[in-house]
Amino acid sequence: MFSKALFKQSMKANWVKWVMATASTCIMLAIVIIVLGNLGINNIRDQLKEVFTQADQQTYLKTNAIDSYDLYLNAVDFENGVIMLSDSGMATVLWGFVTSNYDSAEQTFKRENPDITELSESDYEIIRNNAVDSTYTQIVGLIEMFPQYAENFNFEEDELKQLLYFLMLTYEDNKDLTGDTATSENIISALKERFGNYVYDNAYATALTQEDATEETAHASAMSARELASDAFACYDQQKSQAEVDGGTFVYDNDNFKTLANDYVNDMFYQQALLSFGTDGELSEEEQTEAEQMALAAKVMSNTAITTYEFWIQELTTDEEGLPLELTDEEYSDALSKAREEATKSITGQIDAEVSNALEELGNMDIYSLIIGSIFYRIAGLLMPMVFVIMTANGLLAGQVDSGSMAYVLSTPTKRRTVTLTQMTYLIVSLFAMFALLTVTSVIAVWISGGNAFAINYSQILLFNLGAFLTMFAIAGFCFMCSAIFNRTKYSLGIGGGVTIFSLVCTILGLFGSSVVPSAMRIGAMDFFNYLSIVSLYDTVSIMAGSLAYLWKFAILLGIGIVCFIVGIFRFDKKDLPL
Amino acid sequence: MEYVIEAKHLTKDYGDKRGIFDLNFSIAKGEVFGFVGTNGSGKTTTIRHIMGFLKAQEGSVTVMGLDSWKNSCEIKKYVEYVPGEIAFPDLNDGNSFLKAQAELLGLQNMDYANYLVDRLQLDPSANLKRMSKGMKQKTAIVAAFMADKDILILDEANTGLDPLMRETFTELLLEEKKKGKTILMSSQSFDELEQVCDRVALIFNGHIIDIAKLSDIKNSEYKDYKIEFTTREEYLKFKRLKYEIVRDQEKYNQVTIKIKNSDINRLFNVLKNYHLKFMSEVKYNLEKYFKKVLAEEYLRQEEELKQSKEKDISEKTKEEIKFEKHENKRQVKKANEEEKSEKFFNKPKVKAEKKENKRQIKEIKTIKKDILKSDKKYKKKMKKDSKKGGKNVQ
Repeated sequence: MFSKALFKQSMKANWVKWVMATASTCIMLAIVIIVLGNLGINNIRDQLKEVFTQADQQTYLKTNAIDSYDLYLNAVDFENGVIMLSDSGMATVLWGFVTSNYDSAEQTFKRENPDITELSESDYEIIRNNAVDSTYTQIVGLIEMFPQYAENFNFEEDELKQLLYFLMLTYEDNKDLTGDTATSENIISALKERFGNYVYDNAYATALTQEDATEETAHASAMSARELASDAFACYDQQKSQAEVDGGTFVYDNDNFKTLANDYVNDMFYQQALLSFGTDGELSEEEQTEAEQMALAAKVMSNTAITTYEFWIQELTTDEEGLPLELTDEEYSDALSKAREEATKSITGQIDAEVSNALEELGNMDIYSLIIGSIFYRIAGLLMPMVFVIMTANGLLAGQVDSGSMAYVLSTPTKRRTVTLTQMTYLIVSLFAMFALLTVTSVIAVWISGGNAFAINYSQILLFNLGAFLTMFAIAGFCFMCSAIFNRTKYSLGIGGGVTIFSLVCTILGLFGSSVVPSAMRIGAMDFFNYLSIVSLYDTVSIMAGSLAYLWKFAILLGIGIVCFIVGIFRFDKKDLPL
Repeated sequence: MEYVIEAKHLTKDYGDKRGIFDLNFSIAKGEVFGFVGTNGSGKTTTIRHIMGFLKAQEGSVTVMGLDSWKNSCEIKKYVEYVPGEIAFPDLNDGNSFLKAQAELLGLQNMDYANYLVDRLQLDPSANLKRMSKGMKQKTAIVAAFMADKDILILDEANTGLDPLMRETFTELLLEEKKKGKTILMSSQSFDELEQVCDRVALIFNGHIIDIAKLSDIKNSEYKDYKIEFTTREEYLKFKRLKYEIVRDQEKYNQVTIKIKNSDINRLFNVLKNYHLKFMSEVKYNLEKYFKKVLAEEYLRQEEELKQSKEKDISEKTKEEIKFEKHENKRQVKKANEEEKSEKFFNKPKVKAEKKENKRQIKEIKTIKKDILKSDKKYKKKMKKDSKKGGKNVQ
């Protein structure tokens, strides 16, 4: 089934073509990988990418700054409210209502649902809401009886209910805070603790929604938010006690706290930035200076963000004379989010969205994978092997039948099947050897260019070579089939070579419509050519992206090759030979 | 008798009357069988069937009892082949080609190949592409013969060889024949065929018209003698003796007669009384024989053509009359057709046989007209001559 003599004869007849195709392709590949690797063609892309990364970081920093600022002010505001309540003696009264109503609501619930032994979160929520409703009714009744309390309960219904709900939660945390222990001081610290937990929970949930967040990072950021809140409390306490030491009465001044909040946040970012560079002892003087500069930049950015935020709030909530506008709650929160949006805008946020998208895509485009994957391995690198396969496949059968030289082989006791199998083996082995050398060349070239750290890693370059080999295997099968079917070189070359070159040209044209070309340069209609080419089954994009779509396409290429070879072999057995 | 190669109803129709049709022949062991025929008559197609390169539409060929299409590999163990078209594989020189071929044949001992190289004065180190046609032919012959198998199939193997080399090649063939090999050869050279073959088949338009046994032709019971008389009187006198006249050239007072070998003494006795200018034996060879056969075939075809045409137009009586006329003049025509076919054989390759055939049929028609005319004139002359002669005698 295999003739060594014929194999040798084929080798002698085709080695020049083989050496030419192999050498030229290897040289091209080496140049493409090594030279382009050292030219740093991805620099512009990397810079562009950095702009977008920096913009993202800026937005992140600014958002954080404003979040911290808001949190600080809220904490202060909260403490102010709690202190006011406690100063007016209302804290203990309110606490009394809350504890008794909560206890009775809990008992009622347990009575109504005797089968529930352990209460779930949703059960607690029902209890809390029931307690809130009854407490609210009590307070409303109290105010009707004693109108002098109305001053201290200057709340909307929603606000009051929210406060009460918060108190219920606090009571849940501190069940023992009843009777004698329920002094206003204890209540205040319990409330502060509760607020701290609330801040922690919120921050934790928010942090988890962010990309590549782990429970650890979420915990860390939630902890820092909690600290920030307690720092805010401390700041308030300090202001208050300072005022008492000075002998005056403490007056809550919002603007004053805003300034404090700004300073505090800026300083916090400065410290954080410094920490991220390492501790003092580890850094050289130069590094220390650099770190300080970077920290300062972070501080300035945070300051800018907060100032812009304040400016926009001012702009959106006051009229031209600086007097507050009459806004509904909804309008007010809209104004706040608008102010936040303006303050956190990065440099890229200021460009038109379409341009920004195009620029971002350009930044994400990988020029290496475009040149090596889509241009070299699918077009330039296939050309020489294609020429080799077209000529050799024709010469192995049709050429010899056409000239008549096949008569010498077939006048010896050599079966036609032996001839086709030997020639097929030669074609496949020569292609395999060609791509084995190409693989070695490419691996060495990647190694020279930096190994796995290079834009294309070893496994990708191996897959590229495997794909190119399979593509050539399918094409070789087709050319071989044509060579086996036709007795005339003109038909074998015309159809086998014609279809192959057509495929290659379609791949070139299709490149302009494929997804590897950035949208600014892409012509969608050209994608049509990709459906006309067998090379389209060689999916370098999928290999680069790491998806597995290339696998079944490889299988199809292999299948096409095998089917073509089999058809050719069987046809050659049965046809008339003009020898 | 055991046949080495046997064709039964072998048919391959390429359309347009091309191909081979219902060929039947068989070649015995040790026999040398020749194929002769015009270009494109189907010799090569037949050989390709024997080699198992083509699949017969109908009928079959067997070699050593094996179907040559189904067992194309097995039969190659017995067959060596010199193809008609010489194109070598893509190799550098004759040596590497012979080596590759030996490898394919599984041939270890190259002694016989070297003997053949010497015999044919071949320089196998020459570049294959730069070889002359004769050199290529010699290389192909060595490549085929070196296997020293039982059956030799040669498709016009001596084309391109110089006359001396042709002789050597013929000698070589005779040597092979002596070894007891069965040889099937197609050739354009009657000389070669005559020297080597036992039987020769004439193929014309895909049909075997005749298979001639060379021993029959060589040892014919009859011989032709050409006699020229010094005077017209004697010439005419001789003609009245009712010998079978094959050819009559009254212009030169020449006559060619066919005579049984046993009657030769009687002829000499008769001729004793005549004054002859010369007398020679006209050799009755293969070429002559086939020319005659071919001429008859042309005539037959032409008649068929005419008949089929005239059947529609004219009445039966006319046809009958014409047929009789034809029969009468057949002898005379034959001689002319022979000349015609001689021309035909020496013609180089024709581009379109079909056209050529038509043209020849036309030519034959015009020649026939001429003959008819000259025949009438001759009759008139004869009448006059006989009157004159009669007077003279009186």
